[in-house]
Amino acid sequence: MLGLFGTLDLASRSLQTQRLGIEIAGQNIANVNNPAYARQRLELATAVCIPTTLGPQGTGVDAVAITQLRSGLLDRQIQNETSVSGYLETWQSALQLAEAGLGQTINRQGAASGVAGASGQNGIGDALNDFFNGLQSLSADPASPAERQVLLARAADLASRFNVTDQRLAGLQTQLNQSLEEGVRQANDLLAQVAALNEQISRAELGAPGAANDLRDLRQSKIESLAKLANLEVAANPNGSVDIAIGGATLVSGFRVAEQLEIYDAGSGQWLVRARNSGAAPTLTGGSLAGAIEARDGEVASLRQGLDQLAAHLITEVNAIHRAGYDLAGNTGADFFTGAGAADIRVNPALANNPSRVQAAGVSGAAGDNQIALQLAQLATRPAPGMDGQTFSQNYGRLVAALGQGLASANARIADQNSVRSLLAGQRDSLSGVSLDEEMTSMMKYQSAYQASARLITVVNDLFEALINAQR
Amino acid sequence: MRVTANAYSNSLIEQLNALSLRQTRLQSQAASGQRLRLPQDDPGGMRRALAIQAEAGAAAQYQDNIARQKDLAASAYGALKSLTAISNRAGEIATLADGLRAPEELASYAAEVTQLIRQAVEIANTRHNGSYLFAGTRNDQPPFTLTAGASGNAIGVAYQGNVDGAEFEIAEGLALTARVPGANLTGTGPRGLFADRGAGADFFGHLISLQQHLAAADVAAIAATDRPALLRDEDNLVFHVSQNGAIQARLEASKALLSDRLASLDSQLSSVADADLAQTLVQFNATQNAYQAALQSGARVFDLSLLNYLR
Repeated sequence: MLGLFGTLDLASRSLQTQRLGIEIAGQNIANVNNPAYARQRLELATAVCIPTTLGPQGTGVDAVAITQLRSGLLDRQIQNETSVSGYLETWQSALQLAEAGLGQTINRQGAASGVAGASGQNGIGDALNDFFNGLQSLSADPASPAERQVLLARAADLASRFNVTDQRLAGLQTQLNQSLEEGVRQANDLLAQVAALNEQISRAELGAPGAANDLRDLRQSKIESLAKLANLEVAANPNGSVDIAIGGATLVSGFRVAEQLEIYDAGSGQWLVRARNSGAAPTLTGGSLAGAIEARDGEVASLRQGLDQLAAHLITEVNAIHRAGYDLAGNTGADFFTGAGAADIRVNPALANNPSRVQAAGVSGAAGDNQIALQLAQLATRPAPGMDGQTFSQNYGRLVAALGQGLASANARIADQNSVRSLLAGQRDSLSGVSLDEEMTSMMKYQSAYQASARLITVVNDLFEALINAQR
Repeated sequence: MRVTANAYSNSLIEQLNALSLRQTRLQSQAASGQRLRLPQDDPGGMRRALAIQAEAGAAAQYQDNIARQKDLAASAYGALKSLTAISNRAGEIATLADGLRAPEELASYAAEVTQLIRQAVEIANTRHNGSYLFAGTRNDQPPFTLTAGASGNAIGVAYQGNVDGAEFEIAEGLALTARVPGANLTGTGPRGLFADRGAGADFFGHLISLQQHLAAADVAAIAATDRPALLRDEDNLVFHVSQNGAIQARLEASKALLSDRLASLDSQLSSVADADLAQTLVQFNATQNAYQAALQSGARVFDLSLLNYLR
């Protein structure tokens, strides 16, 4: 028999338990918009029974645990997919910038003369066509100062577009290097935070494994931020801490940061990532660090190199023919372009300042001779050596298409990846997310139980009063 | 499946994002009329579009070159017409100069021939766009210089041009020129207009000879040498007139071919780059409806909560 005091005690503990239930519902409601939060639940158990002659008698309820609804499997999958998304998003963004830097668009509305004026306003393709057409015009009227002036202006425009595009792509590579540096700084910061959280969790869970719910939420969100930067391998330890490795290099071991990452220059401005102490380079297969490296050394580098080769071939081919020609004063041997590639291609200043120095004639003393101008104009349709049997504009078209293909592929992969991530996020939300309706009903449930427990105390109190009054 | 408080907002945001992106793409396609604008839209299409554009640019340049050739041919034809008139008059004078004419009359014919020579030299030094039309490629100086005697009669006309034509392209790999060299004294290369060794033509030489024979009243020499020589010159002129006509006809044919080619390239580019407007607008409407439905259903869902029913 519990007796009146026992019943009073039972009611009092019930009040505390229901209040705790309301507090947990309140905690869940308060964190409804916290993406790192996993909902919590109060675990209840019947209090110890008292054996009586009538059989075991219950003594009320005990709150035994506050548990977190979280799936380690889903967390790991989301962490892996976050790495893939980080990689693809950075890759896509870099290629979009490269596409913008290239500036090649098709603008049919801006076409002044139908199909012949259909290309973009900023692309090298347009300038290349204009340059060769300028040579055709010069071949039609080789002595004309106007044609010479127009040709030089078009050549200067072409050279300037090569220069600007190369600068933009070089700038993009520098930006990607800087983003790599920033990413490594963030990664080191996150590694230190995970190590510190490992220690806090381990201490908080001494004797109560898995109890440090909010700290685990926080650590999981840090791990996912880290996963956005690089591909991770996370291993749980019995004391509640986790070890973190990136591409085979252990970076967090228990409570300490075993290694930090750093940036190093692998030569010619190619920045890469390695472990600071051991110097080992982790194999980066996911995350924004890998995405930045892949885009910088892949499509962006290919495009820049391709444009550089195109400019170099143009300089070589044009100069070889032009040098053999004669200008209006009978001079010969001058180069048309100076420079060695896309970065420094320029129209020879001697020509730019004096259009009569353009060596359009194949013989001296014949102002109307156009042999050289014609040969130069015919370069437009002649496969250039060293460019796989392609003409200059075909080669440029191939470079543009390769970049477009990379970006189209990145777009498609991101669309697929978003579906996967959205599905996993939905599954995790379904398990760990807070439902306001659920919490409201839970709150009402605990509120009613609290009111009933309070009523029990009133009844016990009445019974005490009746008992005391009966003895007067 | 358990649906949580943020599940609605997250999925609504995703749906609205996807629909907005689609709406933006379709709107941009409808506004520009293009389905291909950036390399990422269709990499293979972009490559084809750039190739078509390069070919079309070259075709437009060839049209421009044809227009220049036609201008040259028209200038040359104008000169040929005037020359033909001079040649006809010279032939007429050579026929009129027979034994029945008084020496004074022959002398006045001689003076007329002198004027014809001067006029022909003027035509021979015709300029086109600043360069001399009948000078070959040495066209920055007058090709023909007249040497006159003390009495103003023509003694000689020297040619200082060359026989090079400076051909330029009117189609890929097809170069020609409507320019005619003033004289070809070697007999190899293109036929000269005023003098050509191969054709036995020497317009100025024969006119000077006629002028000298008229002045000397040597009608026998006129009949024996000048008349046949002038006929050879006339044949040479006729050759050049027909050559000019052939070139003009060829230019017209090439121009028509290029126009067809440009129209065909335009249609090819259109099929690569242009959007099907009807299809785009239908898709745009469907997307807009979906967007509205998402907004409306989302707003309804957000409006409903257990909280509304609790006091």
